[in-house]
Amino acid sequence: MKKKVLLMSPAMFILFAFAIVPLFIMLYYSFLSDSAVAKFTLENYINFFSKGFYLKLTWKTIKMSIIVTLICIVIAYPMAYIMAKVIEKGKNLILLLIIIPFWTSQLVRAYSWLVFLRDGGVLAQFLNKIGLIATTDMGILFTSKAAIIALVHIFFPYMVITIYMALEKLDNSVIEASKSLGAKPIETFRRIILPLSRPGIITGAILVFVPCLGSFVEPRILGGVNGSVIGTVIEDQFFEIFGWNFGSAIAFILLAMVLLSMGGMSLLLNKEK
Amino acid sequence: MSIGKTLKRIIAAILVLSMMMALTACGGGKEQGSNQENNTSEGEKTKLVVVNWKDYGSDDPRVIKYFEQQYNCEIVHEYMASEEELLTKLRTGGLGKYDVVLPNASILPVAIDEGLFEEVDTSKLENYQYIFDKFSTLPENKKDGKIYAVPWVWGSTAIAYNNELVDEEIDSINVLWDEKYKGMIAFRDDFNDAIMTAAIALGQDPSNPSDLNAIKQKLIEQKPLNRTYWKTGDEWSKLFANKQIAVGMMWSGQAATMKKAGEPVTFVVPKEGAIGWVDYWGVVKDAPNKDMAYKFIDYMISKEFQLQWTVSGGPAPVNSEAVNALDKETINEMNIGEDSLNKLYFIEYHGEDVKKQWNELWQEVKAQ
Repeated sequence: MKKKVLLMSPAMFILFAFAIVPLFIMLYYSFLSDSAVAKFTLENYINFFSKGFYLKLTWKTIKMSIIVTLICIVIAYPMAYIMAKVIEKGKNLILLLIIIPFWTSQLVRAYSWLVFLRDGGVLAQFLNKIGLIATTDMGILFTSKAAIIALVHIFFPYMVITIYMALEKLDNSVIEASKSLGAKPIETFRRIILPLSRPGIITGAILVFVPCLGSFVEPRILGGVNGSVIGTVIEDQFFEIFGWNFGSAIAFILLAMVLLSMGGMSLLLNKEK
Repeated sequence: MSIGKTLKRIIAAILVLSMMMALTACGGGKEQGSNQENNTSEGEKTKLVVVNWKDYGSDDPRVIKYFEQQYNCEIVHEYMASEEELLTKLRTGGLGKYDVVLPNASILPVAIDEGLFEEVDTSKLENYQYIFDKFSTLPENKKDGKIYAVPWVWGSTAIAYNNELVDEEIDSINVLWDEKYKGMIAFRDDFNDAIMTAAIALGQDPSNPSDLNAIKQKLIEQKPLNRTYWKTGDEWSKLFANKQIAVGMMWSGQAATMKKAGEPVTFVVPKEGAIGWVDYWGVVKDAPNKDMAYKFIDYMISKEFQLQWTVSGGPAPVNSEAVNALDKETINEMNIGEDSLNKLYFIEYHGEDVKKQWNELWQEVKAQ
């Protein structure tokens, strides 16, 4: 047993050297002052909480992430259900199709949305042809809607896969028992399938919500003048003014929020058990 | 012990070994690289080491060939990806290694203060006398009345518009605040450009704005009029080509390139003024080949080089003779004449505190 544990050492080494150590270096930076001789200070954290607009942006980012997560659940659940319980063949093909977009860069995908969503672009012209919109202007690009659409596209595969795995484990005989006892399909879903697949939904929600909080590429490229989120503030600190100290402090505030929300969600999960 | 366990032990050993080999291989590679560098430096010709941006005038093969034949030397380019990187290069082992480098106002005062540059003896530069007067008044390349870097090329961030969509002659910066173009404007997402532009529109000194609150209000007022903020030149080109924007802030260099490609773009330096930038050549402290460095800079600011680069799409020349060699129409169209030049407010060096303050102001505008 002890020797098997040793096998973990390369992975642990990589994790420690390239994730944990840099994390503590950033934590150290977040407590440094910008003065010529860097001193320990809480200034960076105080600055964040004393400026109203940073908190406003944080709240905006949280709202955006919640919306993205909810949309992901709504579109991923039926898909995962059909894959797990309805169809027999072609599951692997669908899974492959879901995973393929992962192989292209996030930046490329954001730029594809730029072409697809713009006024007079591919989608606008198509909708105009079939008579759904009167002009070829949609007014979606360069609003927060565009950023949300792109984020849903990027993160919903996590949701599909986790819900699919939860449903796949669900014993069919339980569903049949419910049916044979006279439950209507809706009742079966509400009282049997949904509660049993909840761990999958919650895991999926964590996998979508958390990276969404830190996203900056999609809001920056697609969100227009209202594309500012907490991720773009951090990006600007690092790339525009080399404000590592303040940038690290914001990043750690974000990390604290992530840990809190994950803690909350795992409480939800434990309650299930 | 079972065979399974032995196997696992072997795999673990292989993993650890291969990781160690990967690490040592990296180190070894580096060593070999620096050895090679040393070998080439033992050539009999004078070697001039230049640090510049890639594809930025001095590394044009024709230019290098001409200069190398003229002065029997060898030019070696090293490239930088940012001004900060250049500063780091100079601070960490660059002295005594590089001869000529290309800083701008964002790092020059710091670098001069730290003694990273040689004082420039302008009497050794034949072409120095032809440089526009405006440049002699800029503070960034001087310290205690001594000159430490030679202006090379300049450009501006001003207004460009689509002359097919806009049927008036634009000559004011207030077009960016014009309700008529609501939804067709593209302001730049850059704290320095944003604050300087708003200061120019408000009649404040763009380098030392007196009322930052008014600037914030002015920028917030401008915000809803945009289609979007742009960051990279590529974003601007796409918005322009798709007719999603009619007017916006733009760089002189890119506007010239777009015009050359046949786009219906007009570039103006508005009457209130616009943002300007300068790239300077500096001789690095303890440069191995100072004499050759002077010859190189003298060639870089010569009429023949500057004219040739400008007409083939380069930035604006500092050499007045090079500009005068062009006809009036071209000068106006390219906004490289002395009248355009004198309208510019050149980006000045700001300390960390000012940068932080400006960046925060811009974040606040964007967060509204």
